[in-house]
Amino acid sequence: MSLAAPMPGGCAKGPTPLMDGVVSRTVRRHLPFGVHFDLTYRCNERCVHCYLDHEDYGELTTAEILAVLEQLAEAGTLLLTFSGGEIFLRPDLFEILEEARRRHFDVSLKTNALLVTPQKAARLRELGVRRVQISIYSDDPAVHDAVTKVPGSLERTLAAIPLLQAEGLHVKIACPLMTENLASFRGVLALAERLGVSYIFDPTITPMIDGNAEPLAHRVSGTELLPVLQEPKLRGCRPESVDASALPVSVGSASSSGIEGDAYDDLPCSAGQNTCYISPYGDVYPCVQLPVAAGNLRRERFADIWSGSAALERVRAVRQSQLPVCSACSIRKYCERCPGLALMEGGDLVGAYERACELAEVKARLDGVADAVSELHRRQRATQPPMPFAESAASAAAAR
Amino acid sequence: MSAASTVWQRNPVLAWREITGSAVIISPAESVMHELNGTGSVVWRMLDGQTTAEQIAARLCTEFDVSEETALQDTSSLLEELAALKLILPAQAAGGAKGATAP
Repeated sequence: MSLAAPMPGGCAKGPTPLMDGVVSRTVRRHLPFGVHFDLTYRCNERCVHCYLDHEDYGELTTAEILAVLEQLAEAGTLLLTFSGGEIFLRPDLFEILEEARRRHFDVSLKTNALLVTPQKAARLRELGVRRVQISIYSDDPAVHDAVTKVPGSLERTLAAIPLLQAEGLHVKIACPLMTENLASFRGVLALAERLGVSYIFDPTITPMIDGNAEPLAHRVSGTELLPVLQEPKLRGCRPESVDASALPVSVGSASSSGIEGDAYDDLPCSAGQNTCYISPYGDVYPCVQLPVAAGNLRRERFADIWSGSAALERVRAVRQSQLPVCSACSIRKYCERCPGLALMEGGDLVGAYERACELAEVKARLDGVADAVSELHRRQRATQPPMPFAESAASAAAAR
Repeated sequence: MSAASTVWQRNPVLAWREITGSAVIISPAESVMHELNGTGSVVWRMLDGQTTAEQIAARLCTEFDVSEETALQDTSSLLEELAALKLILPAQAAGGAKGATAP
């Protein structure tokens, strides 16, 4: 008989064989390994690019949330991320965290840290919270505060980081990139290095959760992103992986569970496979960026939603190799196609969409691909009637 | 103090879950993941702060085709490794944080 020694590794070094093995098993068995739980949409900042409506339409009560945690533990969830809105606006936050840790979840938080105090930081450490991700838009207060619309917010957020670090918590800076702060990315990078924290830059700006496209006005184009994509410290890094604290440098999407890896094989991502999203109102979605309601926890138990939702089944059935357009794309290895954005922006869960094609083409060109044209664009060009020569020459002249 | 004679319990700061029969454990301070095999996970389940290594080994003998001596030897060896990794603590020392204790 062998009791095999525990196998150290995994979390600290990104996707390792151990983590991939665990993730593979949860994907194969459709176990909800990771859950992103927004406790509130209320917020003490008003970020220009935010995809949320900050009104409270009847958040889950403390008792309802504790009951959900019990159900998630029973269902096998290990990685639990609490986010918002601003989670510290919930007066019962620590009661929720206590219960989460009592049920042995690995707990991460996303916050703007405006309300973090030395006492709260100490309590987070006592409870065994593993990681705190903090949104920072610039090292320049004028730029950061213009995004959050809260004067003095950068100063207050930065003051919280040493408090959390002093307690031994892993701190990570998340920097969404948009027109307002694109020029600040090197400053944020330097700031993170100075503070000794990990970081992620994310150019994903999404429509609002109700489909309103207003935030997209803040999105930077692929060409504008070139300096970011060319930055040596960020090049070659993949989207956030298993453990952020150990993968300090990354450019990618913050939308996913953070447990992407090779284990997903032909699947587009973890959404609905082994991760999901829960809204402050108890709605269960495959992912925060894939707002296809699978059920509501006020009416159904989590396990019933997870195993019985037709919406989740539809998401789970998607295979990269069977996508009608993208599977034929010659530059697909440069693409970070998101099924949620495909649905919200292109109207089709399995379709191609402009933003993904644009970024894939930019990355492919950077990598020296001569014919960096996505399959979607190739088909669009093929179906457009050729312009008469005179008109074509006039257009080209006008473009110059 | 030997691993066999000590009553151990899981370190309350850990996050863990049994996933398809294996205990998957995350240490928040180090951000390190560990996984125990099926038999090790049986031991992990019994580390409740009240069960001795002898009792764990006796239970293994009833579940697996193994001699009492081998079971105790392997159990003690695993407990030593878990203790070295701070995944378990002697029961009397495992106070832990409020809210991070075993349910």
